Amino acid sequence: MLRQAVLAAALSAFAPAAWCETHTVVIENMRFQPAALTVKRGDRVVWVNRDVVPHTATAAPSFDSAAIAPGASWGITLKKPGRHEVVCTMHPMMKSSLVVK
Amino acid sequence: MTQHLRLAALAFAASLSINTHAQNAPAPNDAQIAAIVVTANQVDVDAGKLADGKTRSKAVKAFAQQMVTDHTGVNKMAVDLVTKLKVKPQDNPTAKGLQKGGDDNLAKLRTLDGAAFDKAYVDHEVAYHVAVLDALDKVLIPSASNAELKALLVKVRPAIDAHLQHAKHLQAELGASGS
Repeated sequence: MLRQAVLAAALSAFAPAAWCETHTVVIENMRFQPAALTVKRGDRVVWVNRDVVPHTATAAPSFDSAAIAPGASWGITLKKPGRHEVVCTMHPMMKSSLVVK
Repeated sequence: MTQHLRLAALAFAASLSINTHAQNAPAPNDAQIAAIVVTANQVDVDAGKLADGKTRSKAVKAFAQQMVTDHTGVNKMAVDLVTKLKVKPQDNPTAKGLQKGGDDNLAKLRTLDGAAFDKAYVDHEVAYHVAVLDALDKVLIPSASNAELKALLVKVRPAIDAHLQHAKHLQAELGASGS
């Protein structure tokens, strides 16, 4: 019982950090997966390029990864609520949506 | 002239498909596939570089730059892989046909300017990507014996398909604004 209480106290000390999650968007087969993502303010989103060609994760004017090489990744912590259309500037047909609550 | 170029593009596409899946043609081995992949990428990089320098259309320029970036990237991956696998690319009729098709295309494009250039470049890009997709599906992916080479070809396919959709979109736009 006491051990549990100590554990709970220890965990709650880290709670603010635990609330901020990291989400992964995989870029593969010329698509963002998932194509629609909702995150909370303070969360981090990381785009991982598993394609054979470079891509970008761009939501002008909020953020722009520039070229993410095949096998590389790029991430950003989103501090402001809002809705973004995230595109690859190199392949304009690649689109996804990102909502920050 | 346009009609002539369209026919030339189709003839190029047809020559690739005839070379690669004639009933009696033997399936290419991995060394031949490597040469086909490297040549296929290189000819589109060369056409893209020419178009990047010559076109006055923003949309065509962006497409051409994308072709240079993507096909250069795919080629680097292919060369890295075959180097790792110790496969030496081996010349073959399909690779030669692709090279000739690429050379003929560049020679024709160099004689054109403005809207005629854009149209000829984009028409050829559509035909080229149709032919490459066809070759990937019918010959290259089924024939590749090394698992890593096959996996790379499978991974390349969506990029080629996206290029084709992009080229078709441009073709429709040029058709709408050019006439």
